[in-house]
Amino acid sequence: MKAVLDSQRNHVGIKRSKIFLLSIKRDAILYALLLLPLSYIAIFKYAPIYGLIMAFQDYNIFAGIRGSEWVGLDVFRFIFQQDSFYRALKNTLVLNVLDLVAGFPAPILLAILLNEVRQAKFKKMTQTVLYLPHFMSWVIIGGIVYLMFSNSGMVNNLIASLGFEKIEFLSQKTPWLITYISVGVWQNVGWGTILYLAAITGINKELYEASDMDGCTRLRKMWHITLPGIKPTINILLILQIGRMVSIGFDRPFVMGNSLVSEYSDVISTFVYRVGISSGDFSQATAVGLFQSVIGLTLLVSANYIAKILGEDGIW
Amino acid sequence: MNTGMKKATAILFSIALLASVAAGCGGNDKKSGETASTAASSSGPPVTLTVEVFDRGVQGQPDLNNNTWTKYVNEKFGKPNNAIVEYVSVPRSQEVDKLNVLMAANQAPDISFTYDGTLVTRYAKSNGLYTLDELLESQGQQLKSYLGEKVLSYGIYDGKQVSIPGKRTLLAWNGMFIRKDWLDSLGMPVPTNQDELYEALVAFRDKNPGNVNGVIPWATAAAGMNYTFGNLVQSFWGEMSEEEFVTTTNWLKPGNKDAFKWLNKLYDEKLISPDFALDKTTKQADADVSNGKVGFYAANWDYPLLQKIRDPLKQNAPDANFVPVDTFKNYEGKYLKEIYNENGLFSFIPKSSKNAELAMKYLNWMADPEVLFFLQFGQEGVNHKLVDGIPQGIAQTGENMQMSNLNLDYTLVVNGAELGDTEKNVRTYAAALAAGDQDYEKLAIDSYKINTTDGYTGFYYGVPNEANIKYGKTLGDMNKQMIDRLVVAKPAEFDALYGKLVNEYMDAGGKAVQDENVKNYREVIANKK
Repeated sequence: MKAVLDSQRNHVGIKRSKIFLLSIKRDAILYALLLLPLSYIAIFKYAPIYGLIMAFQDYNIFAGIRGSEWVGLDVFRFIFQQDSFYRALKNTLVLNVLDLVAGFPAPILLAILLNEVRQAKFKKMTQTVLYLPHFMSWVIIGGIVYLMFSNSGMVNNLIASLGFEKIEFLSQKTPWLITYISVGVWQNVGWGTILYLAAITGINKELYEASDMDGCTRLRKMWHITLPGIKPTINILLILQIGRMVSIGFDRPFVMGNSLVSEYSDVISTFVYRVGISSGDFSQATAVGLFQSVIGLTLLVSANYIAKILGEDGIW
Repeated sequence: MNTGMKKATAILFSIALLASVAAGCGGNDKKSGETASTAASSSGPPVTLTVEVFDRGVQGQPDLNNNTWTKYVNEKFGKPNNAIVEYVSVPRSQEVDKLNVLMAANQAPDISFTYDGTLVTRYAKSNGLYTLDELLESQGQQLKSYLGEKVLSYGIYDGKQVSIPGKRTLLAWNGMFIRKDWLDSLGMPVPTNQDELYEALVAFRDKNPGNVNGVIPWATAAAGMNYTFGNLVQSFWGEMSEEEFVTTTNWLKPGNKDAFKWLNKLYDEKLISPDFALDKTTKQADADVSNGKVGFYAANWDYPLLQKIRDPLKQNAPDANFVPVDTFKNYEGKYLKEIYNENGLFSFIPKSSKNAELAMKYLNWMADPEVLFFLQFGQEGVNHKLVDGIPQGIAQTGENMQMSNLNLDYTLVVNGAELGDTEKNVRTYAAALAAGDQDYEKLAIDSYKINTTDGYTGFYYGVPNEANIKYGKTLGDMNKQMIDRLVVAKPAEFDALYGKLVNEYMDAGGKAVQDENVKNYREVIANKK
């Protein structure tokens, strides 16, 4: 009895692995192509996870991970005692929430507007012009912003020559925040429309024709056809965006920030740069990075969960 | 079927190859061109000795690893020792960051250096550096006698020699400069105290003697770069004990607050560059000074001599005449100011190096006066001409160019001209920088004299401050931000802001550093007795 069962199991096993091998053989080239991105992810995303051990060590750059002393949660304790860490965390959240509020709807709006443009040439050109800032380095954008918005910059000279009082765009809290957010929106809005425009192309044309027959206005069509049509895309991007809430790019706050607004421009990435690279304290930098990832994952999972409860599509 | 498999494997291999090529590209990090090629010869394969060098991004600079100076090194040191000396460039402005990465990856050059003493201490503490006592004894006699015990003592950690400090021949640090021609046209004297300076600045603002568009009475840039406020702050400090003077955080010293309050008032009265806090690279301040819009500024004592300031200023405002001034007198009537200790940068040999002995040989070789002279001044008739025994620099381009003053980035054992005595050194340094311009030579000599008067040096404890290793960088950043914010603050909010910022500073580690300083200071004093 036992023997029979065994042989059956083996039989199934062989068959399965055979099918597996066969399918690999059949699509060998496709799999080979897949290898490149897979190895990219393995090397650059999974392999560095090993380094997370540093967060629990008093890491000595000469002794390496194997030779460094294990200190448990001491590094985290030290970080959570520091006011500057909380400030960085708070600023990261504030900047990201503002970015989300201002930056998230912008490409949707723009995509819908672009979609309504009749003349193909004009539409293509507008798109290209709007993409361009995305390819500019933040260092250059920082230079432009300085030239335009500093106290003796173009915009302030214009304001002054019209007889109004100058606005300190870059050295006062609220004006700086507004400048920071708007420059970010300006840079990213064009690029962000790509996905939405692609989604809009996927909407069934018959829906528009049918609504034309019923005498719908343009606004009605946008509201009742285009928007619901791209809703799944919006959902997914929103969830992903929320997952990134605690992480923030380095260059934008670093370039746009200055000592006068450091209380608002010092974010987690600049904090990590300061303690990790500049001070050579890799343990702290790793611990902050790990903390960031854990919060990010939690946010992502909860956003996804809520989306599902509300009956929307999640990302898995 | 078989061919299909072959095809697949071929593709697989080529992809693997591609990936490895891509990975290789990432890792290589462009070690500044190829090796200096020339020296390879004689018995056995030559050893490659790697040496750090700053890349200052000077316009028109030659290959940092293939120019007159590196060729000389390879000819005179490399060949006899069967070695190739290869220079690894590190961007000047990211010196520490880059070094941290290189050290962590065990790829730091055999001879690395930094100006950051705390960094050396941290490496030594992590056991990442060679201790050099024996090497110095066996390979470095010439070096040892050149530097002397005092200079070498700055490189001792825990009783062991862990780094080789360079010898600093010129000790002045900061200087202040005012437009004499503007003062003359207003009929005002060169200021000798704070009130006279204030009057001059107000007159610059109101009467605009240079008749320029957008006059800036006092130019500065974001704190932490070349521009400073001179010894203004020191002049406000009140009386305190020696211990207090050495160990107390500047922010808590008596009178410190008033200094910033005064600056704050000046800023509010539009006497200081309006956007200085946004000028993180000093580009704006440099441009303002060299466009002749500026009446007064404080920076390194030799700043007006730098080519980037001197040349454009001559073109844009030929009449401009900056003279060094001493204008901040303290309660004792002294022009108290900080000057450098006798040490320059710290060279060290990372544990990962396989050529420690050769590295020490190299440093020892460099202490030879003949070698130093060539590296600092080059060849007579080509790089300099001798006038009264003082080498006068001849402006150079291409591979003869010096990327730093007197090649200070190549001559690690010395900082500043080295001709054996201070007066000669100052004159030489001035001559080298002024490139033949007599007025500028005089400016440099005057400036050096003024800026070493009533000087004090930072106290050298001889033991590392653990708190400073931990919090130093954060505190340093805070310092800069505090200076900018206090100067720019609305006058009504100044007092509250000062209190708040200083509290934050003390909480963020300032207190810990200060306490340890007090402890260390008392130990040093007790040991002396």
